[in-house]
Order: sequence, then C-alpha cells, then structure tokens
Amino acid sequence: MNFKHKYVFLFPGLFVLIGILIFPIIFVVRLSLSGWNSYNGLNFIGLENYIRLFTDDPRFWESFIRLSFLSVTTVTLQYVIGFALAHMVWKEIKFQRFFRVLFLIPMMTTPVIMTVIWRTFFHESLGPVNDLLQIFDVAPKWLTDPTLAKITVIIVEVWQWTPFMFLLLLAGLLSLPKEPFLAAAIDGASPIRKFIYVTFPLMAPISIGAIIIRLIEASKIMDTVYVLTSGGPGTSTETSSFYIFIKGLREFQMGYAASMSFTYLIIMIISLTVIAKVLTKLLLKD
Amino acid sequence: MSKINLNKISHSYNPNDPNPTYALNPFSMVWEDGKRYAILGPSGCGKTTMLNIVSGLVRPSSGKILFDEKDVTDLKTESRNIAQVFQFPVIYSTMTVYDNLAFPLRCRNFSQEIVEERVNSVAETLNLKSFLKLPARKLTADQKQLISLGRGLVREDVAAVLMDEPLTVIDPDLKFKLRRNLKEINEKYKTTLVYVTHDQNEAMTFADNIIVMSEGEVVQTGTPKELFERPKTTFVGYFIGSPAMNLFESETSSNNSVKINDTLIKTSTDLSKLKNNKVKLGIRSEFIKIAENQKENVISVDVEKVEDLGNYKLLTAKMGNLTIKSKINRETEVSSEKVNLYIPPEKCCVYEDEKLI
Repeated sequence: MNFKHKYVFLFPGLFVLIGILIFPIIFVVRLSLSGWNSYNGLNFIGLENYIRLFTDDPRFWESFIRLSFLSVTTVTLQYVIGFALAHMVWKEIKFQRFFRVLFLIPMMTTPVIMTVIWRTFFHESLGPVNDLLQIFDVAPKWLTDPTLAKITVIIVEVWQWTPFMFLLLLAGLLSLPKEPFLAAAIDGASPIRKFIYVTFPLMAPISIGAIIIRLIEASKIMDTVYVLTSGGPGTSTETSSFYIFIKGLREFQMGYAASMSFTYLIIMIISLTVIAKVLTKLLLKD
Repeated sequence: MSKINLNKISHSYNPNDPNPTYALNPFSMVWEDGKRYAILGPSGCGKTTMLNIVSGLVRPSSGKILFDEKDVTDLKTESRNIAQVFQFPVIYSTMTVYDNLAFPLRCRNFSQEIVEERVNSVAETLNLKSFLKLPARKLTADQKQLISLGRGLVREDVAAVLMDEPLTVIDPDLKFKLRRNLKEINEKYKTTLVYVTHDQNEAMTFADNIIVMSEGEVVQTGTPKELFERPKTTFVGYFIGSPAMNLFESETSSNNSVKINDTLIKTSTDLSKLKNNKVKLGIRSEFIKIAENQKENVISVDVEKVEDLGNYKLLTAKMGNLTIKSKINRETEVSSEKVNLYIPPEKCCVYEDEKLI
C-alpha cells in the first residue's frame, strides 16, 4: 500500500500547529537574536539581548521572583480553600446544589471587569472596603503600599480562581470509591483520621493535576496586575509577563522582549517539571 | 463475639412508594456464634443488601437486628462492633502494613502493648509477619485483601466478620489457600464469619451453613450436604451443583411413583396427598447410574455425547424430548447409542409448584 496520501489528512492539523505554535516559537528565538525596528528591520545582533538580560537587568529577575511568590501563594490558598469548600458540599448538606453553583460564580465572570470592580472596592478614599474599616479607625493603603498591594493582588486572584480548584476537587471527590470510607467507618476512624488517611491520599493524584494546571495559569497572571495596580506602586507588583509586556509593547524593544519571553519559557518548563515531580513524590510517595 | 438474630428483616429501596419493591423480602434467621455462614445467590438477589443491613450501612425498612439480645437496628456501623471485608481490597495506602492492622485498635484508644500483641498475633495467622514494616500499597492484591481481613480480626470484640465476595480479585490457586486460611482463623479465634458469594464452590467448601437467596428471598438454609441432596426448591437444585440437577416434568401415577414419558419411576416420597398430578422429578446427575441388573426405575435413553472431564465422564442423553445428564465413572465404557440408566428411588426429589414435597 502506498501511504503517501496520509499527508493530505495530516495537513490541516499540521498547518494549525505550525501556524500557532511552531512558527511563533521559532520566530521568537530568531527575534531574540535581533534588534527590530521600522528603520533597520530585523537585524541580527547575536546574543547581545541575552547578555543584557543576564548581566544588566535585575528588574526582570525581581519580577520573576515576585511572580513565583504570587503564584505559589495564590495557588496554595486556592487549593486549601477550594478543598475545604468542595469537602463541604460533597457531603449531603442543605441547599447543596445552591452552594455548588454559588461557589462557581466568580469563575464565570470576566476577570478584567471583576478586577475593575475590585479596584473600586479597594480604592483608598472612595472604596467601600475602607468605608467599612473606618469603624475600626483604620484606612489601609490597599493599592499604594508595596506589601498591601501584593496582598490585594492575591485576594483578587484567589477570589477569581478558587472556584476552578473547587470544581476540579469536587469532581475528584465525587468520583472516589465508597468502600474506603465504609471501611474507615467500620474501623472506627474519627472524621479527622478519615480525612488524613482516606480522603487526602485518595485525592492526591487529582490534587497534583489541579495544582499544576493552576500553577501554569497563575504564572501567566497579567490582567489582574494590569488593571489593579499596573505593576505599582513602583515595581512592587510587577510580574514577568507584565514586565515583558512593558518592554515589548510599550517601549517596543521587540528583540529584547523576545529574549525575555524565551528565557521565561525555558525556566517555566524546567520549574514546572521539577514541581510536578516533587509533588508526585510528596503526595503519592512513589 | 455474639449471636446475631435477624428478626423479620425486610428492605425496600423505595419504602414510601404505594407499591414498594423489596430488595429483601421479610425473613427471620439466627446466626450462631463462632460459625461460618455463606450467603449464596445470583447477582442482584439481595445478598449484599442483607450484609449491609447486618453491618449497619443500610437500615432495614422493617424488622430488628439483635446482637446477643441487644437491639442494634438503629446503631451506626462504627458502634456495632462489626468488621467487613469488601470485594476490592481497602487499605490505607499511606501507612505501613503494621499501621494498617493497628488502625482499628488505635481508633479505639487501645494501649500500645495491646496493639502490638494483637497485630503480631493476627499478622502471624495471616502470614503477613515479614511485611509488617513495608508500605501497604507495595503489596499484591491478595496480600492487601489479607490486610483488610486482618483489620477485622485484630479487634477481639467483633460480633462477626462480614465478607462481600472477598476473593474476587484473587488468583484461583490462592483462593483455595485463603479459604483454608479463613477456616483456620474461624477455628482459632472463634469468630463468626459471614461470606457472600455467587460461587457455589466457594460457599460449599467454606461454610457450615449456606443461605441460598433468589430475588430477595431466602430460599433455603442448610448444610452443604442438605442443599445438595435435598434442595427445597427447583431453584436451589438448579443453582447448586454442577451440572445442575436433572428436572423432569412428570405426572404422579401412584402413591409413590411418577411417570416420565410413559416410564414409571418409583420414589421414596409419599405422593398421596397431592391435589394436582403435575409434578417435577429432580435427581442429581451424581446419583444416576448405568443400569446393571436392576429391574425397576430403569430408563432407556439415547446417548447424545460423552465428555471426559478428567475425574469423571459426563453423559448427556435424550429420552424423547428430555435431556438427562449423568456423571459416570471414568473407567466405565459407554455404548454410543442406547443405554439403560438406573434412578435410585431414595435420591429422587419430587417438586410440586417448584417446592419440595
């Protein structure tokens, strides 16, 4: 049989893959080795961009550390809160369906618009949060204090994305076999023991999946920062993606932004692989 | 350990319906302390429901369960002192084998010495001693099932260990070993063991008493011998034994004989009080022999096939439209066309409306 015609069938898929993934990556690598402006076009400058990135740009590395801190903190909080909520509505409780839907609402809203609303909430002189806090005679600078601004970003991120974690974990809980729980009841295990020795170990594989998915998503954090603080005050909430965006699309240093993007991609691939391995070891112990 | 008394128990999964359907029809039964029971029946006959009622996972729609005269109907599983082994092994995967076995005791705040002593004793019986320090998840399926069983046995106060088809996931040769193991445990600890299965061999080799169920009904309770020789209904005759009992439509012809296709067969049953002359004659293939010089109860059949099944030959023959199966000695030579079979009267069971007379 002659299978040459297989390429005809492969073409649509390959075309899309090349168009949206392979070509952009290759182009970014090429771009990162160039300066790019309307006068000179794409001029090859070797590793110059990378040398600048690794020797002369602490702002990028600071933003990367900030991003790591923000994504690990938000995902941890999302996991803990999401698990607690999922565990709550997993059991037969009153208004179970109502709560299940209620907890999903934040995820169904548009992040940018919700962030605008949160910005209004946290507005230092006009927002309702500080209005309420007036009772205690405090008026925190939610968006202009470097530390508090980070916390504000975390609050908004956790609010927006905990439902996603909740959904994955609830699906996981609902798919668990019944027998281990019956056996634990027969063995006389208390609710805490049941959670530690039955629920949590059984949920480990799905937890790892959920955490990894959220970590990937969380490290792309951009719209929240953009709308809420624009990376400020100063650079105290600036994350990698936001910094790359500033360099590339505000200052139009395309070549340099490309070199940062590519470096970022490599670091992310390595660190997420390591995190997945570590989590698997830690939670599954295999 | 205690005597378990099931008093007029029944269960329906839709009790509020005007016409509830019963997963378990009302029945009463007593399980003596320290005996081995098997609940046998086809899938969906209510075996697991019965087991779950005893363990407290299901509350019966009506009736009472008494453990040594104490009413436990409304008690939860954890306060009933019952152990249950499920079809698939349940282990605490993050713990070692030792911790798994110790878990039920630790949950009940036993002292370290008692825990150690009980765990070691049970591990010894179940041959798990060399694995005690290993993580439980590293063991094979049958060893994991032993752990589940062991968690039931470490508690001295269990009223009974209930097992829901516990050997399903286990290899055939190991099954045999484990069943023997279970018997030894029963003899050593005098624990009441209740074993649910759909495999008659398992039930017959394991239990002192077998409870046969069909469609939510307890059809017969008895020793393996009773079930084999005097099945109370045609269902039991059909369900137990391999091949199933031979059942022939027949008519009564005198006080103790029936007619099958014009051949008169004498039985040891008194048939004088029957209202109806349509009955079924049941006889195990094990009891049908090739006629030598008998004059009575001999039927002439056409041989259809003879299969050599290793330890015996299975003869399948036709008499008119009836099929007869007989287990015969391997050494016996069988004619390939016509053969005379002898039906011993004392082994005949006569059924009226599917029930033994």
